[in-house]
Amino acid sequence: MAVSSPTGQERPLRFPLSRQRRKVWLISVIVLSLSALGLVLSWTNPQIRSPLRPGLDFTGGTKIQLERLCKDNCQDIRAIDIQQTLGSLTLPAEGRDQDANTLPNLASARVQLLDRGESVVLRMPALTASQGQAVIEAVEPIAGPFEVGGQSVDTIGPSLGGQLLRSSLISLLVAFAGIALYISIRYDGRYAVLALVALGHDVLIVCGVFAWLGLLSGLEVDSLFAVSLLTIAGYSVNDTVVVFDRIRERQREDGDLPLDAQVDRAVSATLTRTIYTSGTTLLPLLGLILFGGSTLFWFAVALAIGVIVGSWSSIALAPSLLSIWPRQRTAGA
Amino acid sequence: MARQQGWFALILALAIAAGSVLISPGFPLELGLDLRGGSQLTLEVQPSGEITKVKPEQLEAVKAVLDRRVNGLGVAESTLQTVGDNQLVLQLPGETDPTRAAEVLGSTALLEFRAQKPGTDEELRGLMQLRAQLESVLELNKSKDNSDSGDQNDGPSPEQLAKAQKELGLEGTADSEQEQLEQLLARANEEIVDRFEPAGLTGKDLVTAGRQQQQNGSSWEVTLTFNREGGDKFAELTRSIAGTGRLLGIVLDGSSISEAGVGEQFKAAGITGGSAVITGNFTAEEARDLEVKIRGGSLPLPVEILEVRTIGPSLGAENVRRSLIAALAGLVLVAIFMLLVYRLAGVVAVLALSLYALFNLAAYELIGVTLTLPGTAGFILSIGMAVDANVLIFERIKDELRRGNSLIRSIETGFSQAFSSIVDGHITTLISCAALFFLGTGLVKGFAATLGIGVLLSLFTALTCTRTLLRFLMSYQSLRRPTNFLPARQLPSSAV
Repeated sequence: MAVSSPTGQERPLRFPLSRQRRKVWLISVIVLSLSALGLVLSWTNPQIRSPLRPGLDFTGGTKIQLERLCKDNCQDIRAIDIQQTLGSLTLPAEGRDQDANTLPNLASARVQLLDRGESVVLRMPALTASQGQAVIEAVEPIAGPFEVGGQSVDTIGPSLGGQLLRSSLISLLVAFAGIALYISIRYDGRYAVLALVALGHDVLIVCGVFAWLGLLSGLEVDSLFAVSLLTIAGYSVNDTVVVFDRIRERQREDGDLPLDAQVDRAVSATLTRTIYTSGTTLLPLLGLILFGGSTLFWFAVALAIGVIVGSWSSIALAPSLLSIWPRQRTAGA
Repeated sequence: MARQQGWFALILALAIAAGSVLISPGFPLELGLDLRGGSQLTLEVQPSGEITKVKPEQLEAVKAVLDRRVNGLGVAESTLQTVGDNQLVLQLPGETDPTRAAEVLGSTALLEFRAQKPGTDEELRGLMQLRAQLESVLELNKSKDNSDSGDQNDGPSPEQLAKAQKELGLEGTADSEQEQLEQLLARANEEIVDRFEPAGLTGKDLVTAGRQQQQNGSSWEVTLTFNREGGDKFAELTRSIAGTGRLLGIVLDGSSISEAGVGEQFKAAGITGGSAVITGNFTAEEARDLEVKIRGGSLPLPVEILEVRTIGPSLGAENVRRSLIAALAGLVLVAIFMLLVYRLAGVVAVLALSLYALFNLAAYELIGVTLTLPGTAGFILSIGMAVDANVLIFERIKDELRRGNSLIRSIETGFSQAFSSIVDGHITTLISCAALFFLGTGLVKGFAATLGIGVLLSLFTALTCTRTLLRFLMSYQSLRRPTNFLPARQLPSSAV
């Protein structure tokens, strides 16, 4: 392979990582601590009792979303009115094992208005199909009329949410193991460990942000959030691997330089690429955030945070950790 | 040069093929329920009694019963699939009120063996004859609808039908001939069941049903195996009707699926030993149908509805529209960015990425990927990765140019040096996709599918399409200038 000496020509972007690494670690440690704090606070919060506020997908229950037919008066509606109506509603009993005492309690129902009152979201304990219809009929006088075909009723048993969580975790662990194995074979063990450290860093921070959002604004995580974590994991590794690939190349070609300098060169050389790539990945996500509608809004937000944090960990965190790793020369000069 | 032209021809052929897949009606782009509206029900088969774990064949048997009921619902394109060890997912596109579906699926199927009531021979014979006629007419109408070449059928005349209608109390309730026939058939079935009395022998007592070829040759028979208690009851039931001309009725979900006589030789003790055969000149297929029905109905496992999701079609359409706008807006921005930063190479990238999008959509249609909302997200994300591959290559080319290498050499080196990081990055993503696809459920699977296809295609377009297009453009002398790739001030003075 013909490569001329890299001395001489100025690169457009340079990043003296080895001099900045204490700052890098400080920033990462602060953000990680804040994330951990959010997760712990959420866990100890008597209302949540879980690191993230679990949504319907994980707790089970019924969610009804209704699109309202309204023009200028959309904002006249108040969530509290709907809440009171639901509280005083008596549901039809159903099935053999439901009597008045075991009927779902609607006093705990949560009402949310979306898109400036254009749609209403009701979250309740699990209802049967006909009980759901009863709820819609009860709400109609206050919030109606509703758009024909603009309603969605989701009922999820709690076991299904647990199953989703379990299968997501298992698939994530298997994916980690597979990635670690691949990197160990293609590079070596250190790189595999650091790629996973970077990945854990990214996933933890995104979880932390959503834990804080759950604490402060009641945001719930759904199964799409689980999907976004899986994506971030994949993206983070992809991002880090490219930087590692460059470091390995530098080790081959600038073998006489100290590791610090090799890492600095590699990071500087990939800096433009990493920024451009994050930028171009953020563009479609930005599109989703701006135009994607409520269903995908938080999904896109989670991914966007993940992409930004992922770039940070692959530019700064993972390589800086590599440069202090006890030196064992594996790559020949 | 010849090799490059070969690649060029291949890419062109693929693009044409992908384009024709897109416009061909044979491969529609399947939209998931969250995009087109409809209901999805998740059911779990519950272990009960001695059965502590649901076996695959029991799951299949439950599915067979439910399949039949779902078809009765009359929702077009409904699908019922088994998921995992003990779950079934039913999708009803376009159905926004799943109340009825939930009721129909939730009830437990009941298979019963009944004895014909004494003194009903004549009525029963008439009803069975009517049923046979109605079935053959309906069958004929069905094939006529398809081929439109049926001759005058030899079923019951209009007068006969009117008479039957009067007898069964259905006068003037049907709007069309088809509906009239179907109503008559349903009523005839009810009447037939009415001629039998319950004997306390149900599907719970049946261990299994099978089929075998009769010893005399071509026709088939269906075998029944009862448990001990069921064997005793069956012996008692058959003893009571043997030789009387009364029939044994097999009733499933309130309609009679088979009537059989019991030979006189069983008059003394009935059919003993806990097993029996039903003979009736069955073809292999008829025997199989009956076996499946009996087996399905005999399943004693209850089913619980875990999840009901309903999305109105307008919500779905709204989601599609918004996601499409989002994807397009993002892509346009990416294209502008690439053109600004990479100039001529940006043109190549935009072309390659357009091909990439085309290949992706064609792949979804060919493989039959059902596009869901998470799937759309996976697609948009895979575009990010495809762009990344191009960025990696072009940054390397720029690096080489800045070092003062010639353009052609820079391009070749750029590709070869970016190769390993592109492959590593794509393979690690593919590994997670594979884990998510094979171990994940539902929407995670859909996401992994589109992302996985996207990553594979991205490898191809980045390493083949981008390269071939760039080489093709470089065959024009006028385009072969480093300043088409980066600003002159970034070039070493010797190269300008």
